[in-house]
Amino acid sequence: MSTTQLETHEHAAHAHHDEHGHHDHHDHHELPWYRKYLFSTDHKVISKQFMLASMIFLFLGGLAALMLRWQLAYPGQPVPIIGSLMPDAWVTEAGSGIIAPEFFVKLTTMHATIMIFFVIIPMAVGMFGNFCIPLMIGTDDMALPRLNMWSFWLVPPAGLILLAGMFTDSGFATAGWTSYPPLSADINKPALEFSGQTLWIISIFMVGFSSIMGAVNYVATVLNKRAKGMKLFDMPLTVWALFITAIIATLGTPVLASGLAMLFFDNFFHTSFFLPDSLVASGSFPGGGQPVLYQHVFWFYSHPAVYIMILPLMGIVSDVMATFSRKPVYGYKAMVFAIAGIAFLGFIVWGHHMFQSGMNPLLGTTFMLSTIVIAVPSSIKVFNWLGTLWRGSIHFSSAMLAALAFVSMFIIGGLSGIFMASAPVDIYIHDTYFIVAHIHYVLFGGSLFGIFAGIYYWYPKMFGKMLNETWGRRHLFWSFLAFNATFFPMHILGVGGHMRRIYDPNIYDFLKGFGGMNEFITISAIVMGFAQLILVANILYSLKWGKAAPRNPWHANTLEWAAPAHPGHGNFDTDITVYRGPYEFSVEGREEDYWPQWIPGASKTVHHRTVVVDEHQQASTVSA
Amino acid sequence: MMSDFLRVFDMLAWFPENISTFGQALDDLFAVIYWISVAIFFLTFGLMAWFMVRYRARPGHRGYNYHGNNVVELTWTILPTILFAGIGLYSDDIWEKTKYPEQMPAPDVEILCLGKQFGWYFLYPGADGEFGANAYNNRANRALMSATNPFGIDRNDPKAQDDFVVENQFRVPVNANVMVRGSSIDVLHSFFLPHARVKQDVVPGTWMNIWFNLFKTGTYELACAELCGGGHGAMRAEYKVLSKAEYDTWLDGEIAKQAAIMSASAESSETPAGEAEASSEEASADAPSDNATDDVWGEE
Repeated sequence: MSTTQLETHEHAAHAHHDEHGHHDHHDHHELPWYRKYLFSTDHKVISKQFMLASMIFLFLGGLAALMLRWQLAYPGQPVPIIGSLMPDAWVTEAGSGIIAPEFFVKLTTMHATIMIFFVIIPMAVGMFGNFCIPLMIGTDDMALPRLNMWSFWLVPPAGLILLAGMFTDSGFATAGWTSYPPLSADINKPALEFSGQTLWIISIFMVGFSSIMGAVNYVATVLNKRAKGMKLFDMPLTVWALFITAIIATLGTPVLASGLAMLFFDNFFHTSFFLPDSLVASGSFPGGGQPVLYQHVFWFYSHPAVYIMILPLMGIVSDVMATFSRKPVYGYKAMVFAIAGIAFLGFIVWGHHMFQSGMNPLLGTTFMLSTIVIAVPSSIKVFNWLGTLWRGSIHFSSAMLAALAFVSMFIIGGLSGIFMASAPVDIYIHDTYFIVAHIHYVLFGGSLFGIFAGIYYWYPKMFGKMLNETWGRRHLFWSFLAFNATFFPMHILGVGGHMRRIYDPNIYDFLKGFGGMNEFITISAIVMGFAQLILVANILYSLKWGKAAPRNPWHANTLEWAAPAHPGHGNFDTDITVYRGPYEFSVEGREEDYWPQWIPGASKTVHHRTVVVDEHQQASTVSA
Repeated sequence: MMSDFLRVFDMLAWFPENISTFGQALDDLFAVIYWISVAIFFLTFGLMAWFMVRYRARPGHRGYNYHGNNVVELTWTILPTILFAGIGLYSDDIWEKTKYPEQMPAPDVEILCLGKQFGWYFLYPGADGEFGANAYNNRANRALMSATNPFGIDRNDPKAQDDFVVENQFRVPVNANVMVRGSSIDVLHSFFLPHARVKQDVVPGTWMNIWFNLFKTGTYELACAELCGGGHGAMRAEYKVLSKAEYDTWLDGEIAKQAAIMSASAESSETPAGEAEASSEEASADAPSDNATDDVWGEE
């Protein structure tokens, strides 16, 4: 499907519109520059702000990953290029360039924290939520634009506070992204003193606030601001997924906030919410707390949070797959119920992170059974995606390739999830690289490829320019190849018993045979890191020199494509009325193979298929 | 080299040797899930590849407007439910046998274990086979816990006189039910015996029941599997599975050493027994934590 072909097919109804129509007919006065680009309340600007901030953090998180991979593949060898630049506190001895064991643990902590809280969540929810929801439900902006602005402006300070950890005496946070106490309570640190860990807690607390602000806004917008005629079941799956994600975030994030608040008190004021009475530490604590309580509170949020990180992308991938298969999403309602099912079950499975934590083994049984149940809606989604491909007319655009990568990698990530859902198998693979492989198949192979799909799909609407498809395919090819070469062998490391977050595997006899594999993984990871530069270059190049985007480049049906190619404040230049569901592709009786939601026309359903109804004929039967 | 490459495709070949009685059940369960996963992988990837080739866009070809079918949806809801429920019930049976306290066999050997940053302490009950008062069996003794007396042992208790501590190593007899009661003196650690398929987090303030029965003699490794700070990766220890005779010999030696320590402290008149013991342990506690290597066996 070449772009030129698409442009000639551009729907006639739009021919007379200015393709780059700014808000000429919206009569408002010019805003000062800082209200336009910095403290903007326009959901599209906020979306781009999330995108930019997350991409900077993606670079930092990726750099941390490559540094720790270097140590695992070449233990005790100086890090090339940046090794000589590292501060003394990061290396074994001044100028050696060799990562110190303490800094290695900080790297794992920072990599995971940045990727989860500052990349995947802001991109999946902040960037796409802001961009897609108002446009896809046909409205001018969020219900609460100012709150929306604040939800972004909490992220950069939170990120800076996190990174400021390096200026404390103890350096960055050390306790991993899960920050289990007593380690995260810094039991040997005097009270009322900041450490990297204290700043970590404050930072994540702030990001949590940002999430809550965004989430209530999404719920309010979806429920109140849908275009005329749009029923809930006329919403694209992207909006459904973001809507349900927002509900999860509203219910879950306050629980995380409470856990973090207690942890902050333990860390900063030496209370003992999570600290027992038999610690041998230099600090003094009243004691009587329970460390495992923190894990319950933390995972009560953080397990639903993994669905916060993947559900929006499941929605996006469904939309992309329907558009490029020229077919309705197979089982649209089943997909909605599956999302809702995952969201509900996501709240009762948190204990599967804690099978070996020392909680009552009876709880292991219950959490194992609920966890295994959650595999059912996930498999429904996979089968429906396959059903969407079935009898389609599949166009392999960059967005579609990324979506297919998402589905395939999600299958592998889902299957490896069954192993750890089974509590007895988890005894052995818990806290090994098997878990690392699983999380990356779901969060990188899944979420990040879903984010790529979204970027390739909506870039024309975001920036008014087309991305270069050839470079898009190259980026996805190398990312996909290097991704699998990096993370698949980690399953094998896990089966071999290779623990997570260890500085040097070579000190263990039972891990002696894995040196070559660790080296292979690191080389693949470096290739994968460099492959991402293709995407960055493509985004920047196309911004300036890309071909101007038409209004509806993919011949898609959803409402965002009714807006001008590069919509200004206020989004739409026509009144939007919704006449049908979002996925009426290849309807019998229509010349075009798509039927946008905003184009009038009557249809009926015959044996699960949509058929055009001749309106004149219908009118005459009604009058008769 | 080639065989190494082919092993990549046989995940089950990478397990370390199993030496535990329940290990085979865990490995078998892993294998069952593995083969189910391989089957689902080929089914879904096969379908996906087939659809991608068969239904690629071609001129004159149109997609098929079809919204799905509830019978199909129900089929692929119910079938996975049955499959997953089967895996769940099969798993739960093994889980109950390995982890439920009431299903654990009566212990032949009982050891207390404490994790610390970054090493392990083990306490054996000595000649009488019984522990004296310590932080595990007497809550009040938690107040005695310190870097020099991590178990909070009260040496004035007659039963505690012969209890002895070893660091970064432990030994167990072969074919015996071993019960390790594990805890920690500072942060979370995880007691991981890869060859024995044992993993249990140890939590300060709580004592975990960790049991196993090992059928093969030899020297194996204990690792920490829960992030516990900068030295986490080096928190390595070794353990030996010994024949009953060898184990008894070792036990006698350690008991004699402990008796010597106790009589030495009794001779130095004014020093209470507890403190003397504490100072002898202090020496070992001061040793660098990364000595968890081969030299722990040097004292034999």
